[in-house]
Amino acid sequence: MKKNLYTFLLSHLLLLTSCLLMACTETVSDAKQENALPQIYPDYLGVTIPVNIAPLCFNMADETVLCIDAVITDHHGNSLHSQGEESVDFDLDDWRALLAQNRGDSLNITVSAKYDDGWHTYRSFSIFVSPDSIDYGICYRLIAPGYEVWSKMGIYERDLSSFDERALIENTQFEGCVNCHSFNRGNPADMSLHIRGPHGATLLCHDEHPTPNTHHPSPLTAYNTKTDQTLGFCVYPYWHPSGRYIAYSTNATNQLFHSAHHNRIEVFDTASDLQIYDVEKNELLLLPLLKQDSIYETYPVFSHDGRSLFFCAARALPEGSYELDSIRYNLYRIDFDPATGTFGSRIDTIINAETQHKSVSFPRPSYDGRFLCYTLSDYGQFSIWHHEADLYLLDLATGESRLMEGANSEDTESFHNWSTNSRWLVLSSRRDDGLYTRPYFCHVDAKGQVSKAFMLPQRNPRRFYRDRFLSFNVPDFIITPTHFDGYKASRIINDNYRKDFGVRTIN
Amino acid sequence: MKHLRSICTLLFGVAVLLFYGLAYPHHLHYQEQYQLFLFDSTYVWEIVRVPGGLADLLGRFCTQFFLYAWVGAFIIACLLTLVQLLTLRLFNVQWFYGLSFVPSFLLWLFLLDENALLGGVWAVLLTQFAICGCLLVPKGWTRHIVILITIPVLYWMVGPSWTGSHYHRYPTVTPYLLYAAWLSAVILPLLVHFFKVHGSWFKVQGLSGQRQQIIHFSLFTFTFVIMMMIVWKNANLKAEKVMQYDFMARYQQWNRILETINTEKPNNQIGVTVQNLALAIHGQLVNHLSDYNQNGIAGLLPDVERDATSPLPTAEAFYQLGMIYVAQRTVFEAQEAILDFQKSARCYKRLAQTNLILGNYEVARKYLLALQKTLFYRDWADETLPLLGHEDAIAKHPEYGRLRRYAYNDNFYFSDHVTSEMLESLYFSNTDNRLALEYLMAYYVLTGNRDSYAKLLHHISAKQ
Repeated sequence: MKKNLYTFLLSHLLLLTSCLLMACTETVSDAKQENALPQIYPDYLGVTIPVNIAPLCFNMADETVLCIDAVITDHHGNSLHSQGEESVDFDLDDWRALLAQNRGDSLNITVSAKYDDGWHTYRSFSIFVSPDSIDYGICYRLIAPGYEVWSKMGIYERDLSSFDERALIENTQFEGCVNCHSFNRGNPADMSLHIRGPHGATLLCHDEHPTPNTHHPSPLTAYNTKTDQTLGFCVYPYWHPSGRYIAYSTNATNQLFHSAHHNRIEVFDTASDLQIYDVEKNELLLLPLLKQDSIYETYPVFSHDGRSLFFCAARALPEGSYELDSIRYNLYRIDFDPATGTFGSRIDTIINAETQHKSVSFPRPSYDGRFLCYTLSDYGQFSIWHHEADLYLLDLATGESRLMEGANSEDTESFHNWSTNSRWLVLSSRRDDGLYTRPYFCHVDAKGQVSKAFMLPQRNPRRFYRDRFLSFNVPDFIITPTHFDGYKASRIINDNYRKDFGVRTIN
Repeated sequence: MKHLRSICTLLFGVAVLLFYGLAYPHHLHYQEQYQLFLFDSTYVWEIVRVPGGLADLLGRFCTQFFLYAWVGAFIIACLLTLVQLLTLRLFNVQWFYGLSFVPSFLLWLFLLDENALLGGVWAVLLTQFAICGCLLVPKGWTRHIVILITIPVLYWMVGPSWTGSHYHRYPTVTPYLLYAAWLSAVILPLLVHFFKVHGSWFKVQGLSGQRQQIIHFSLFTFTFVIMMMIVWKNANLKAEKVMQYDFMARYQQWNRILETINTEKPNNQIGVTVQNLALAIHGQLVNHLSDYNQNGIAGLLPDVERDATSPLPTAEAFYQLGMIYVAQRTVFEAQEAILDFQKSARCYKRLAQTNLILGNYEVARKYLLALQKTLFYRDWADETLPLLGHEDAIAKHPEYGRLRRYAYNDNFYFSDHVTSEMLESLYFSNTDNRLALEYLMAYYVLTGNRDSYAKLLHHISAKQ
């Protein structure tokens, strides 16, 4: 053991010293020209990127490589070079300048890798710099992809034009967990956030008279969303574009585990209803049509104009039945009048997935009203744990749905959200290792053409994603930094005061 | 005189060593299994970037050696001895020599709690080092400046000791013993130092060297005896026994388990679970079920609880039975339940194994690559990594190949409670799984299900 210790410490010391003394800074010379495209991690070959994205640093997929070198060139004669032992790490300012000069144009990337036998230069590939910019950042929950118990977790924001990540709130600040963060079209001034556990609450940030371009966060209030007329706490939220309403589902959720199935967990509802919270009147609006005992209603989302409510619904299982693979959700729509807070009397079927023996989850309409992106899986509503889950795009003008091939992979694609210009989609995917969810982005043009998805950039992606034993949950765009005061929020959470919701039933 | 003090210090160190080595070794194993010390810059930075991080890091670094109980005992003995020597250095008043052991004894008491973290001891030590360092500086402005610089640096190193963060696994527990040790090691010597400078009533005058030695030894003996009595009274030897069963299950010491249960029959849940697993491994469970304490099926395969300790031996049983998905879930949940949010090398290892068996090679690789950054699990990770994706090698592997063959044929849903149907499905998926048969029969016996037991016997005899 002693020998083992010495060897280990000595090897690490030598490694550190050699790293310091022999940093990989060589000229690529006598390189063998390869006809193949380079195998890089993440796969950025042929992707479309927003003009304001952070540098696409990457590693060689082959870990035996001794050094990696990349040169980016454009049609104006500009170039950007980076070299590293593990990854290429482009200078942030140079990268930004290059992208700004090539808005709407392609960049050419030539990758060389040094092996024991010398340098190899691969066939160049291109990336397209879309003129469509992406929002300031994304917000997500980081949590281990576990079962029922949670360790350290929290809600974080990431600046998409750099590598900066900041915690909004972590469960080290209170006892419990945090989930379902939601913003009104990416605006942190309107935010809904659930706290679960002994200090359970729904935190609402809402400013009735927001001042543009100020860094003052909206007032924060902790609510008790459980009422004696509803099933339980509010769960899946979606803001009305006016900021006056939030559509929530309320779900009685259970988990069971597979004994011999590649989908290890099944999360399902034994009951669920929909309800609309009127922020101004502090009132839950209940419509009997949306809280039927024989139907599981969930995932409510408002249309871009706020005059419709889309939601998923499935026929409820008989009590005591565990035929979970028979629960299939369709996509429905009902009219909503934001002026009066009333609903239409008819529910339209938008996607009848049941007839295809499929199930819809996570409907997300684009903010320009053109498309609705949703997840399709074999059954159920918690497609995160379904390896077969894929993203589909519904053209709201034609009613046609199609598979988003560029966005999908062989593994799970589940939760997703639109950027505020409706040109970018952030999606959760487990394609990397089949378990840990990573955020990917794809471009969707006005015709619904979907580009190849690319992974959230990191300085050293392989090291970053390999070392992080956490999933990125519920990624959502934010248009500015949230300026969320986690310390103040934790004080509110740890305080016993909770404001109750009023309830009004609409007939 | 100096030799006598050295002998007393040595005696103290040996007492600590023997205590942890002989009476408390499994407390050390327990500590080690709830952390994953990585030789990785990101890991180190995440720890040291917060106040108290350095003490925490040093504590974690030392705790990884607790995998070997005697090494752990030696480390604790050294640290506590060092605390005593530094206290003596700060607290050098002859009459009160015996009291120089008080901080060390308080830390010893603190460490009797299996959830007390070694970072607490380092916090005290680093504080003592800082004070000694300041006292080495000549009096005057220089010393004042050094003290002013030392205070924020010390705050970064040992952090808010008074909040107990980093120093106890339960975030809500206030480690009063640690505070007492810290105060006795730091504040009292400073007070004494002050009085020593400003008063003469601490000085021992007019006594011969021999009489002074007697006084010193008497004070040491008095402190030592009193403190040892308190330590022994507060030692949780019952928990030590439970931890021993967990340890034996972890290292699959089935023969040793049988020897232990035949010496003293376990009467706690973990002990009974491990006892039944060892009996089943030896094919003796059904025949000797009534010879030992049982707790119904809760002693066979208990319901999975939401804590970090009790599920691990049960997970070992699930794993040995071939219920890999169940084992994986149980281990994962146990790791997530670690209260100070640390990860566990033991759990990482098992999760790498379950993912390997289930064919989730990329996830298994992730765990193995993390284990490659450890001191004591690196070799195992190096040996296991080549297996990933090599179906033939896994099929031929004595453990993984066997457990793959025992896998369920039929999919069903399970939750926290193990049912007879789960064991029936397991056994009938592969009737070579003798362990599943033992557990199934025991399950029938413990639940009084005679019909099913008889049918199973009939099936076995028909098969033969």
